[in-house]
Amino acid sequence: MKLRPLAACLVLPLALLLFIQWPLREWIHAYTRLANDLAQALFALYVSVAVYAASRAGAHLSLDLNVPQNAAKVARSKVALQWLCVVPWACFCLWSFGPDLYRSLTGLERFPDSNTPGYFVLKLALVSMLFLMIAHATRLLAQSFRSHRS
Amino acid sequence: MNLAPWGGVVMLLSLVLLNLWCETPLWTLLLGVSSAFAGIAWFCGVFDLPILAAMPSRVLGLLDNDLLQALPLYVLVGFLMSELGIAQAIFHSIARWRSAGGAARPLAALALGACVGPMNGSVASSSALLGGLLSTRVQYMGSARAVSLISAAATIGVVVPPSLVLLLLGDAMMRAHTEAMQLPGLVSEQTRIINTQDVFHAALLPALLLVLCWALLLWCLTRDERPPQEPPLAGASRVALVTILGICALLAGVFTGTLLAVEAAATAAMLMVAWAVLGQHPSRTHWAKLLSETLQLSGALMALLVGATVFSLVLRLYGTDRWLGQLMLSSPLPAHVTAALVLVLVGACALAMDAFEMVFVVVPLVAPPLIQMLGDAQQVAVLLLFTLQMSFLLPPLGYAVMIARARSPHTVSGGQLLRAVAPYVACQLVVLVVVFFEPAVVHGLDNKMTTPPTLTKDQVEDALEGLARGGRTSKP
Repeated sequence: MKLRPLAACLVLPLALLLFIQWPLREWIHAYTRLANDLAQALFALYVSVAVYAASRAGAHLSLDLNVPQNAAKVARSKVALQWLCVVPWACFCLWSFGPDLYRSLTGLERFPDSNTPGYFVLKLALVSMLFLMIAHATRLLAQSFRSHRS
Repeated sequence: MNLAPWGGVVMLLSLVLLNLWCETPLWTLLLGVSSAFAGIAWFCGVFDLPILAAMPSRVLGLLDNDLLQALPLYVLVGFLMSELGIAQAIFHSIARWRSAGGAARPLAALALGACVGPMNGSVASSSALLGGLLSTRVQYMGSARAVSLISAAATIGVVVPPSLVLLLLGDAMMRAHTEAMQLPGLVSEQTRIINTQDVFHAALLPALLLVLCWALLLWCLTRDERPPQEPPLAGASRVALVTILGICALLAGVFTGTLLAVEAAATAAMLMVAWAVLGQHPSRTHWAKLLSETLQLSGALMALLVGATVFSLVLRLYGTDRWLGQLMLSSPLPAHVTAALVLVLVGACALAMDAFEMVFVVVPLVAPPLIQMLGDAQQVAVLLLFTLQMSFLLPPLGYAVMIARARSPHTVSGGQLLRAVAPYVACQLVVLVVVFFEPAVVHGLDNKMTTPPTLTKDQVEDALEGLARGGRTSKP
């Protein structure tokens, strides 16, 4: 199954988990933190794909003043600028976050407040988000070069 | 003379200029400008490379933030309201209200903005959604007036609780108040740090006052007009009534502290999903499209937050926040005049930035000294909120106006738009002035709601340590 449709469905269990927090807290008096931590992990996974999905769909917000420009040339410059803005930053984050992620994965890090297992999922989601950002920006740049040559 | 803080000012100006010039996604510009200035600072020895390793932890803090879990839920609810025909039903029911005469349609547009806006994530998405729903329906008013009405309706979401902007502002104000308590010479009657609930309570009365002013304005301006008759829509009144009652019940839950804002958003989302499933309304293909659009818009908003978080970190590393704070506090002008000037500057920044960027980049810089100057954190939160809202309405760069103008079927000149928007802006100015000179307005609901958990001044240092670690906030 494709990544984006699968990730898009995560919003439904996320809503369910956050919704049941209230009855769990008020009536059952237990498992609220568990539901919250599970929702947090789902949310992190959702966001890691969501940023990529927004990039693929061109849904990111930008200030469009409708100034007439040379379309092909401007589009190529924009793609190059986006690559320059995103990729060095994402690579730096991956480089500086690597050791932390390794420790978290090997120790199967738990949520600090509740000791529920699964905090490492959040860190894994962050790294996935960074990889997807790099992959998308690089793919766009490669496409732009190919279309320029042809 | 230490020139480092100027680096942050140049960074902020570069962002605004690039934003206007490049037409590139804002989040990438935020990351690019931050990376470039971080590189320059490292090269010039302003700060070391290891300190920048805090960047991924800051971004992880976003994935670990309880409040932000509400973001995709708000977006889902916004899309479901449109997809299930609820938004149309609300507009239709009010637009057919005969005793309102010609004002019925504009008032319906305003009411729709008040219902959909807080659920819609950002001004840009509210503006796009309302533009799509309303532009043909209010076109009879003339293009400029239609654009200004849609823009005003789209900005209601900024000030009416429990909007996402308010949630995030509440979180930012809690941090700002914590920092302000550490500044020397703070004279304040508030004995504890404010939280999101306090900001909700503070914003509600001024927001109602503004919506009332706008409704009165529309009544006066349009009651004698003769709009085309709205065609009948079966069951619209019932759907609208149930929805409005549902929204009121959830709001009451949030205001009395029974429900957290995130839980209210989840409850709204689950109720709408259940409604859709039981009514078998959207087909499977529609569901896939709806969930995909929710994913994309949530991603666009989260990307902005990632960019703004990194940007604000680099700005702080330059020491620009402390420098600006000192500059404001040592101003030779009276405190109220300086505060007013700062609000004008905030408004100027909001012309080129979305609400989320403002909350994450600009508010942390100006809020602590503003609290210091005015002595009332809730008043500062509401003033910042209404300044942001006003900037979104000011042509030609105001976000709401720009998007509604782009979606208008007819060309609207800047002059026409300015004249059409002027009455709405005048109402906002009146509310701003009232809040500025009469802070009691923001405390009208303080003791009538559940008192939130108290954080005393003694606990401020612990809170500051937690914030410095980029830790979790507002756990239930």
